[in-house]
Amino acid sequence: MKEEIELIKDGKRLDGRGFDELRPIKIEVGVLKRADGSCYLELGNNKVIAAVYGPREMHPRHAQDAKMAVVKFRYNMAPFSTDDRKRPGPDRRSVEISKVCREAFDPVIMRELYPKMGIDVYVELLQSDAGTRTAGINAASIALADAGIPMKDLVSSIAVGKIGGEMVLDLNAAEDNNGEADMPIAMIARTNTITALQMDGRMTQEEFGRGLKLAMGACHQIYELQRAALVTRYNQNYESKREEE
Amino acid sequence: MEKGGGVVVPGDFLGTSEEFTLGKGVYGEEGNLYASQIGTINITDKRAIEVLPAVETPPVLKEGDVVIGRIEDLRDNVALVSIACVEGKEKREIAASTQAVIRISNVRKGFVNDLQQEFGYLDVVKAKVLDAKALRLSTEERDLGVLKAMCTKCKGRLKRKGDVLMCEKCKRVEPRKMSEDYGKGVV
Repeated sequence: MKEEIELIKDGKRLDGRGFDELRPIKIEVGVLKRADGSCYLELGNNKVIAAVYGPREMHPRHAQDAKMAVVKFRYNMAPFSTDDRKRPGPDRRSVEISKVCREAFDPVIMRELYPKMGIDVYVELLQSDAGTRTAGINAASIALADAGIPMKDLVSSIAVGKIGGEMVLDLNAAEDNNGEADMPIAMIARTNTITALQMDGRMTQEEFGRGLKLAMGACHQIYELQRAALVTRYNQNYESKREEE
Repeated sequence: MEKGGGVVVPGDFLGTSEEFTLGKGVYGEEGNLYASQIGTINITDKRAIEVLPAVETPPVLKEGDVVIGRIEDLRDNVALVSIACVEGKEKREIAASTQAVIRISNVRKGFVNDLQQEFGYLDVVKAKVLDAKALRLSTEERDLGVLKAMCTKCKGRLKRKGDVLMCEKCKRVEPRKMSEDYGKGVV
Protein backbone atom coordinates (compact mmCIF):
# COMPACT_ATOMS: atom_id res chain seq x y z
CA MET A 1 0.00 0.00 0.00
CA LYS A 2 1.60 3.20 -1.13
CA GLU A 3 1.70 6.19 1.13
CA GLU A 4 -1.45 8.27 0.99
CA ILE A 5 -0.78 11.86 0.03
CA GLU A 6 -3.20 14.41 1.31
CA LEU A 7 -4.25 16.34 -1.79
CA ILE A 8 -6.82 18.61 -0.16
CA LYS A 9 -6.15 20.59 2.96
CA ASP A 10 -8.66 23.03 4.43
CA GLY A 11 -10.51 23.23 1.13
CA LYS A 12 -7.33 24.13 -0.75
CA ARG A 13 -5.23 22.03 -3.07
CA LEU A 14 -1.51 21.42 -2.79
CA ASP A 15 -0.70 24.53 -4.79
CA GLY A 16 -3.24 26.65 -2.98
CA ARG A 17 -5.95 26.66 -5.63
CA GLY A 18 -9.62 26.21 -4.99
CA PHE A 19 -11.55 23.37 -6.60
CA ASP A 20 -12.64 25.38 -9.63
CA GLU A 21 -9.49 27.40 -10.26
CA LEU A 22 -7.29 27.22 -13.32
CA ARG A 23 -3.52 27.22 -13.23
CA PRO A 24 -1.95 30.41 -14.65
CA ILE A 25 -2.12 30.61 -18.44
CA LYS A 26 0.13 32.64 -20.72
CA ILE A 27 -0.36 32.88 -24.50
CA GLU A 28 1.88 34.33 -27.21
CA VAL A 29 0.76 34.38 -30.84
CA GLY A 30 3.03 34.22 -33.87
CA VAL A 31 6.28 33.14 -32.24
CA LEU A 32 7.76 31.09 -35.10
CA LYS A 33 9.10 32.75 -38.22
CA ARG A 34 9.03 29.80 -40.58
CA ALA A 35 5.59 28.50 -39.62
CA ASP A 36 2.45 29.82 -41.28
CA GLY A 37 0.84 30.10 -37.86
CA SER A 38 2.23 29.52 -34.40
CA CYS A 39 1.57 29.91 -30.72
CA TYR A 40 3.47 29.51 -27.47
CA LEU A 41 1.33 28.65 -24.46
CA GLU A 42 1.98 28.03 -20.79
CA LEU A 43 -0.56 26.25 -18.63
CA GLY A 44 0.79 25.92 -15.13
CA ASN A 45 4.14 24.20 -15.54
CA ASN A 46 3.33 23.09 -19.09
CA LYS A 47 5.23 24.86 -21.85
CA VAL A 48 3.99 24.07 -25.32
CA ILE A 49 4.67 25.46 -28.77
CA ALA A 50 2.38 24.82 -31.75
CA ALA A 51 3.15 25.36 -35.44
CA VAL A 52 0.83 25.15 -38.43
CA TYR A 53 1.92 24.71 -42.04
CA GLY A 54 -0.37 24.78 -45.02
CA PRO A 55 -2.65 24.37 -46.78
CA ARG A 56 0.13 22.94 -48.88
CA GLU A 57 0.72 20.21 -51.40
CA MET A 58 0.16 16.77 -49.97
CA HIS A 59 2.92 14.18 -50.17
CA PRO A 60 2.50 11.30 -50.89
CA ARG A 61 -0.23 11.73 -53.43
CA HIS A 62 -2.20 8.68 -52.40
CA ALA A 63 -2.92 10.36 -49.07
CA GLN A 64 -4.73 13.21 -50.82
CA ASP A 65 -8.46 13.62 -50.47
CA ALA A 66 -10.04 14.86 -53.67
CA LYS A 67 -12.82 16.68 -51.82
CA MET A 68 -11.16 18.30 -48.83
CA ALA A 69 -7.92 19.02 -47.08
CA VAL A 70 -6.29 16.35 -44.94
CA VAL A 71 -5.29 17.52 -41.48
CA LYS A 72 -2.28 15.92 -39.84
CA PHE A 73 -1.56 16.47 -36.18
CA ARG A 74 1.65 15.52 -34.43
CA TYR A 75 1.89 15.78 -30.67
CA ASN A 76 5.42 15.26 -29.38
CA MET A 77 7.19 15.63 -26.06
CA ALA A 78 10.79 16.80 -26.07
CA PRO A 79 13.18 14.43 -24.28
CA PHE A 80 13.94 17.07 -21.66
CA SER A 81 10.31 17.92 -21.02
CA THR A 82 9.76 15.23 -18.40
CA ASP A 83 11.33 14.50 -15.02
CA ASP A 84 13.06 11.41 -16.38
CA ARG A 85 14.49 11.88 -19.83
CA LYS A 86 12.08 10.57 -22.42
CA ARG A 87 13.41 8.64 -25.38
CA PRO A 88 12.76 10.77 -28.48
CA GLY A 89 10.32 9.59 -31.11
CA PRO A 90 6.69 8.57 -31.17
CA ASP A 91 5.23 6.16 -28.66
CA ARG A 92 1.78 4.72 -28.14
CA ARG A 93 0.68 7.58 -25.93
CA SER A 94 1.72 10.35 -28.32
CA VAL A 95 0.13 8.55 -31.28
CA GLU A 96 -3.14 8.31 -29.38
CA ILE A 97 -3.03 11.94 -28.31
CA SER A 98 -2.22 13.03 -31.87
CA LYS A 99 -5.30 11.19 -33.12
CA VAL A 100 -7.63 12.56 -30.46
CA CYS A 101 -6.33 16.10 -30.92
CA ARG A 102 -6.69 15.94 -34.69
CA GLU A 103 -10.28 14.82 -34.32
CA ALA A 104 -10.94 17.66 -31.89
CA PHE A 105 -10.39 20.05 -34.80
CA ASP A 106 -12.40 18.18 -37.43
CA PRO A 107 -15.64 20.05 -36.68
CA VAL A 108 -14.04 23.50 -36.92
CA ILE A 109 -11.50 23.49 -39.76
CA MET A 110 -13.28 24.26 -43.04
CA ARG A 111 -11.45 21.55 -44.93
CA GLU A 112 -13.75 21.51 -47.94
CA LEU A 113 -12.28 24.81 -49.12
CA TYR A 114 -8.92 23.21 -49.94
CA PRO A 115 -9.33 19.92 -51.82
CA LYS A 116 -6.21 17.79 -52.25
CA MET A 117 -4.22 19.91 -49.81
CA GLY A 118 -2.54 19.05 -46.51
CA ILE A 119 -2.65 21.05 -43.30
CA ASP A 120 0.04 20.05 -40.82
CA VAL A 121 -0.16 20.89 -37.13
CA TYR A 122 2.85 20.26 -34.92
CA VAL A 123 2.63 20.53 -31.15
CA GLU A 124 5.85 20.26 -29.19
CA LEU A 125 5.91 20.02 -25.40
CA LEU A 126 8.94 21.81 -24.03
CA GLN A 127 8.04 21.23 -20.41
CA SER A 128 5.30 18.93 -19.24
CA ASP A 129 3.09 18.72 -16.20
CA ALA A 130 -0.42 17.31 -16.13
CA GLY A 131 -2.76 18.51 -18.85
CA THR A 132 -0.29 18.49 -21.74
CA ARG A 133 -2.84 17.51 -24.34
CA THR A 134 -5.25 20.22 -23.26
CA ALA A 135 -2.47 22.79 -23.46
CA GLY A 136 -1.61 21.43 -26.90
CA ILE A 137 -5.17 21.78 -28.17
CA ASN A 138 -5.41 25.34 -26.87
CA ALA A 139 -2.14 26.28 -28.54
CA ALA A 140 -2.99 24.54 -31.81
CA SER A 141 -6.32 26.33 -31.98
CA ILE A 142 -4.62 29.70 -31.81
CA ALA A 143 -1.93 28.64 -34.26
CA LEU A 144 -4.55 27.58 -36.80
CA ALA A 145 -6.29 30.93 -36.53
CA ASP A 146 -2.92 32.68 -36.80
CA ALA A 147 -2.25 30.77 -40.03
CA GLY A 148 -5.37 32.27 -41.55
CA ILE A 149 -6.98 28.87 -42.09
CA PRO A 150 -10.75 29.29 -42.22
CA MET A 151 -12.30 27.96 -39.03
CA LYS A 152 -15.81 27.91 -37.68
CA ASP A 153 -14.64 28.61 -34.16
CA LEU A 154 -11.79 28.25 -31.73
CA VAL A 155 -11.44 25.05 -29.70
CA SER A 156 -10.76 25.28 -25.98
CA SER A 157 -9.64 22.42 -23.81
CA ILE A 158 -9.24 21.68 -20.12
CA ALA A 159 -9.12 18.66 -17.85
CA VAL A 160 -11.12 17.95 -14.72
CA GLY A 161 -10.36 15.26 -12.23
CA LYS A 162 -11.25 13.68 -8.95
CA ILE A 163 -9.00 13.90 -5.91
CA GLY A 164 -9.92 12.94 -2.39
CA GLY A 165 -13.47 12.29 -3.53
CA GLU A 166 -13.91 15.84 -4.89
CA MET A 167 -14.27 16.97 -8.49
CA VAL A 168 -11.63 19.60 -9.22
CA LEU A 169 -10.55 21.59 -12.22
CA ASP A 170 -7.23 21.50 -14.10
CA LEU A 171 -5.22 18.78 -12.38
CA ASN A 172 -1.53 19.23 -11.77
CA ALA A 173 0.97 16.40 -11.81
CA ALA A 174 0.65 15.36 -8.17
CA GLU A 175 -3.13 15.33 -8.42
CA ASP A 176 -3.04 13.41 -11.68
CA ASN A 177 -0.70 10.78 -10.30
CA ASN A 178 -2.38 10.35 -6.95
CA GLY A 179 -5.99 11.18 -7.73
CA GLU A 180 -8.89 8.92 -8.60
CA ALA A 181 -9.82 10.15 -12.08
CA ASP A 182 -8.73 12.41 -14.92
CA MET A 183 -10.98 13.67 -17.71
CA PRO A 184 -9.66 15.94 -20.49
CA ILE A 185 -12.36 17.71 -22.50
CA ALA A 186 -12.14 19.88 -25.62
CA MET A 187 -15.07 21.91 -26.81
CA ILE A 188 -16.32 24.83 -28.83
CA ALA A 189 -17.12 27.31 -26.10
CA ARG A 190 -19.68 29.35 -28.05
CA THR A 191 -21.96 26.40 -28.80
CA ASN A 192 -20.91 24.09 -25.94
CA THR A 193 -20.12 21.41 -28.50
CA ILE A 194 -17.74 18.75 -27.21
CA THR A 195 -15.09 17.81 -29.78
CA ALA A 196 -12.93 15.55 -27.63
CA LEU A 197 -13.61 13.74 -24.37
CA GLN A 198 -11.50 11.15 -22.60
CA MET A 199 -11.61 9.76 -19.10
CA ASP A 200 -9.43 7.55 -16.97
CA GLY A 201 -10.18 6.40 -13.44
CA ARG A 202 -13.35 5.89 -11.43
CA MET A 203 -16.30 8.26 -11.41
CA THR A 204 -19.97 8.01 -10.70
CA GLN A 205 -22.42 9.31 -13.26
CA GLU A 206 -23.29 12.23 -11.01
CA GLU A 207 -19.62 13.12 -10.60
CA PHE A 208 -19.18 12.93 -14.35
CA GLY A 209 -21.98 15.46 -14.77
CA ARG A 210 -20.43 17.81 -12.24
CA GLY A 211 -17.04 17.46 -13.90
CA LEU A 212 -18.52 18.28 -17.28
CA LYS A 213 -20.14 21.40 -15.88
CA LEU A 214 -16.84 22.47 -14.32
CA ALA A 215 -15.04 21.91 -17.62
CA MET A 216 -17.60 23.87 -19.59
CA GLY A 217 -17.22 26.88 -17.35
CA ALA A 218 -13.46 26.67 -17.59
CA CYS A 219 -13.52 26.33 -21.38
CA HIS A 220 -15.39 29.60 -21.56
CA GLN A 221 -12.67 31.22 -19.48
CA ILE A 222 -9.96 29.78 -21.69
CA TYR A 223 -11.82 30.85 -24.81
CA GLU A 224 -11.81 34.42 -23.56
CA LEU A 225 -8.07 34.20 -22.96
CA GLN A 226 -7.50 32.75 -26.44
CA ARG A 227 -9.65 35.39 -28.02
CA ALA A 228 -7.95 38.17 -26.08
CA ALA A 229 -4.51 36.96 -27.17
CA LEU A 230 -5.51 37.00 -30.84
CA VAL A 231 -7.35 40.32 -30.66
CA THR A 232 -4.50 41.97 -28.77
CA ARG A 233 -1.98 40.77 -31.29
CA TYR A 234 -3.93 41.70 -34.39
CA ASN A 235 -5.43 44.92 -33.16
CA GLN A 236 -1.86 46.18 -33.06
CA ASN A 237 -1.34 45.03 -36.64
CA TYR A 238 -4.62 46.59 -37.70
CA GLU A 239 -3.97 49.95 -36.09
CA SER A 240 -0.42 50.18 -37.41
CA LYS A 241 -1.72 49.34 -40.89
CA ARG A 242 -4.36 52.03 -40.60
CA GLU A 243 -1.74 54.60 -39.65
CA GLU A 244 0.25 53.69 -42.74
CA GLU A 245 -2.72 54.35 -45.03
CA MET B 1 -24.26 43.96 -35.56
CA GLU B 2 -21.95 43.67 -32.59
CA LYS B 3 -18.31 44.53 -32.02
CA GLY B 4 -18.13 47.60 -34.22
CA GLY B 5 -14.51 48.29 -35.11
CA GLY B 6 -11.67 46.21 -33.82
CA VAL B 7 -10.74 42.68 -34.72
CA VAL B 8 -12.98 39.62 -34.93
CA VAL B 9 -11.80 36.03 -34.48
CA PRO B 10 -13.22 32.83 -35.98
CA GLY B 11 -16.65 32.11 -34.58
CA ASP B 12 -17.61 35.69 -33.82
CA PHE B 13 -21.22 36.46 -34.65
CA LEU B 14 -21.55 39.10 -37.37
CA GLY B 15 -25.23 39.28 -38.19
CA THR B 16 -28.09 37.32 -39.67
CA SER B 17 -28.40 36.15 -43.23
CA GLU B 18 -31.35 38.51 -43.69
CA GLU B 19 -29.16 41.50 -42.92
CA PHE B 20 -26.19 40.76 -45.19
CA THR B 21 -25.05 38.52 -47.97
CA LEU B 22 -22.04 36.30 -47.56
CA GLY B 23 -18.61 37.75 -48.27
CA LYS B 24 -15.06 36.53 -47.87
CA GLY B 25 -13.95 35.26 -44.52
CA VAL B 26 -17.55 34.68 -43.43
CA TYR B 27 -19.63 31.52 -43.21
CA GLY B 28 -23.32 30.99 -42.63
CA GLU B 29 -24.89 28.52 -40.28
CA GLU B 30 -28.53 28.22 -39.21
CA GLY B 31 -29.39 31.67 -40.50
CA ASN B 32 -26.49 33.40 -38.76
CA LEU B 33 -23.26 34.76 -40.17
CA TYR B 34 -19.97 34.17 -38.39
CA ALA B 35 -16.36 35.12 -39.05
CA SER B 36 -14.10 32.33 -40.26
CA GLN B 37 -10.82 34.22 -39.97
CA ILE B 38 -9.15 36.94 -37.94
CA GLY B 39 -9.67 40.40 -39.34
CA THR B 40 -11.82 43.49 -39.48
CA ILE B 41 -15.41 43.76 -40.61
CA ASN B 42 -16.23 45.45 -43.89
CA ILE B 43 -19.61 45.94 -45.54
CA THR B 44 -19.52 46.33 -49.31
CA ASP B 45 -21.81 48.53 -51.34
CA LYS B 46 -23.77 45.41 -52.28
CA ARG B 47 -24.49 44.80 -48.62
CA ALA B 48 -22.15 41.83 -48.40
CA ILE B 49 -20.38 41.47 -45.09
CA GLU B 50 -16.79 40.34 -45.28
CA VAL B 51 -13.84 40.01 -42.96
CA LEU B 52 -10.69 41.70 -44.27
CA PRO B 53 -7.91 39.45 -42.99
CA ALA B 54 -5.45 40.73 -40.41
CA VAL B 55 -3.36 37.58 -40.80
CA GLU B 56 -1.72 36.23 -43.91
CA THR B 57 -4.26 33.89 -45.44
CA PRO B 58 -3.52 31.00 -47.81
CA PRO B 59 -3.03 32.58 -51.25
CA VAL B 60 -5.64 31.91 -53.91
CA LEU B 61 -4.90 32.84 -57.50
CA LYS B 62 -6.75 35.77 -59.05
CA GLU B 63 -6.73 37.20 -62.54
CA GLY B 64 -3.83 39.61 -62.87
CA ASP B 65 -1.64 37.96 -60.22
CA VAL B 66 2.02 37.62 -61.09
CA VAL B 67 3.29 34.12 -60.33
CA ILE B 68 6.60 32.28 -60.36
CA GLY B 69 6.67 28.77 -61.74
CA ARG B 70 8.72 26.17 -63.51
CA ILE B 71 8.25 24.77 -66.99
CA GLU B 72 7.31 21.13 -66.54
CA ASP B 73 6.63 20.19 -70.14
CA LEU B 74 6.80 21.74 -73.58
CA ARG B 75 4.30 20.79 -76.25
CA ASP B 76 3.85 22.24 -79.71
CA ASN B 77 1.33 24.84 -78.64
CA VAL B 78 1.47 25.02 -74.84
CA ALA B 79 4.02 25.08 -72.08
CA LEU B 80 2.92 23.38 -68.87
CA VAL B 81 3.95 25.32 -65.78
CA SER B 82 3.98 24.26 -62.15
CA ILE B 83 3.32 27.40 -60.10
CA ALA B 84 5.43 27.77 -56.97
CA CYS B 85 4.22 31.03 -55.47
CA VAL B 86 2.47 34.34 -56.01
CA GLU B 87 4.44 37.57 -56.19
CA GLY B 88 4.14 39.37 -52.86
CA LYS B 89 3.07 36.19 -51.06
CA GLU B 90 6.19 34.11 -51.47
CA LYS B 91 6.06 32.78 -47.93
CA ARG B 92 2.92 30.73 -48.43
CA GLU B 93 2.23 27.86 -50.77
CA ILE B 94 -0.73 28.20 -53.11
CA ALA B 95 -3.73 26.44 -51.64
CA ALA B 96 -5.12 25.04 -54.87
CA SER B 97 -4.06 23.33 -58.08
CA THR B 98 -0.77 24.71 -59.35
CA GLN B 99 -0.75 23.19 -62.86
CA ALA B 100 -1.00 26.04 -65.34
CA VAL B 101 -0.42 26.55 -69.07
CA ILE B 102 1.16 29.21 -71.23
CA ARG B 103 -0.27 29.12 -74.72
CA ILE B 104 1.92 29.92 -77.67
CA SER B 105 -0.25 32.93 -78.46
CA ASN B 106 0.37 34.39 -74.98
CA VAL B 107 4.16 34.24 -75.04
CA ARG B 108 5.00 37.41 -76.95
CA LYS B 109 3.11 40.27 -78.51
CA GLY B 110 4.30 39.17 -81.91
CA PHE B 111 4.04 35.89 -83.74
CA VAL B 112 5.71 32.87 -82.18
CA ASN B 113 6.54 30.00 -84.46
CA ASP B 114 8.34 27.57 -82.18
CA LEU B 115 7.75 27.34 -78.44
CA GLN B 116 11.11 25.62 -77.97
CA GLN B 117 12.73 28.90 -78.93
CA GLU B 118 10.98 30.75 -76.11
CA PHE B 119 11.17 28.40 -73.12
CA GLY B 120 13.28 25.47 -72.07
CA TYR B 121 12.40 22.48 -69.98
CA LEU B 122 12.75 23.27 -66.23
CA ASP B 123 13.15 27.00 -66.80
CA VAL B 124 11.94 29.23 -63.98
CA VAL B 125 9.44 31.74 -65.37
CA LYS B 126 7.51 34.74 -64.20
CA ALA B 127 4.03 35.03 -65.68
CA LYS B 128 0.72 36.75 -65.21
CA VAL B 129 -2.57 34.96 -64.63
CA LEU B 130 -5.07 35.51 -67.44
CA ASP B 131 -7.72 33.12 -66.21
CA ALA B 132 -7.72 31.95 -62.61
CA LYS B 133 -10.13 29.08 -63.30
CA ALA B 134 -8.41 27.52 -66.29
CA LEU B 135 -5.01 28.71 -65.01
CA ARG B 136 -3.91 30.28 -68.26
CA LEU B 137 -0.79 32.43 -67.99
CA SER B 138 0.78 35.11 -70.12
CA THR B 139 4.39 36.27 -70.52
CA GLU B 140 3.78 39.06 -73.02
CA GLU B 141 5.00 41.95 -70.90
CA ARG B 142 8.60 43.04 -70.60
CA ASP B 143 9.08 42.01 -67.00
CA LEU B 144 7.55 38.59 -67.60
CA GLY B 145 9.33 35.57 -69.00
CA VAL B 146 12.23 33.35 -68.07
CA LEU B 147 14.11 34.22 -64.89
CA LYS B 148 16.57 31.34 -64.84
CA ALA B 149 17.54 28.73 -67.39
CA MET B 150 19.99 25.87 -67.80
CA CYS B 151 22.00 24.89 -70.84
CA THR B 152 20.39 22.03 -72.71
CA LYS B 153 23.82 20.66 -73.61
CA CYS B 154 25.81 20.67 -70.37
CA LYS B 155 23.21 21.79 -67.78
CA GLY B 156 25.35 24.77 -66.88
CA ARG B 157 23.89 28.14 -66.00
CA LEU B 158 22.87 30.37 -68.88
CA LYS B 159 23.94 33.98 -68.60
CA ARG B 160 22.32 36.87 -70.39
CA LYS B 161 24.23 38.38 -73.30
CA GLY B 162 22.17 41.05 -74.96
CA ASP B 163 19.06 39.40 -76.34
CA VAL B 164 20.23 35.83 -75.96
CA LEU B 165 21.53 33.52 -73.27
CA MET B 166 25.00 32.05 -73.35
CA CYS B 167 26.25 29.11 -71.36
CA GLU B 168 29.13 29.98 -69.07
CA LYS B 169 30.73 26.57 -69.51
CA CYS B 170 30.27 25.38 -73.08
CA LYS B 171 29.48 28.76 -74.70
CA ARG B 172 26.31 27.47 -76.31
CA VAL B 173 23.86 30.22 -77.21
CA GLU B 174 20.12 29.76 -76.68
CA PRO B 175 17.19 32.08 -77.31
CA ARG B 176 14.50 32.65 -74.67
CA LYS B 177 11.60 34.94 -73.94
CA MET B 178 13.48 36.63 -71.14
CA SER B 179 12.16 38.65 -68.29
CA GLU B 180 13.73 42.03 -67.65
CA ASP B 181 14.80 40.57 -64.31
CA TYR B 182 16.60 37.58 -65.76
CA GLY B 183 19.42 36.44 -63.49
CA LYS B 184 18.85 39.09 -60.84
CA GLY B 185 17.36 36.75 -58.29
CA VAL B 186 14.53 39.16 -57.58
CA VAL B 187 10.85 38.74 -58.33
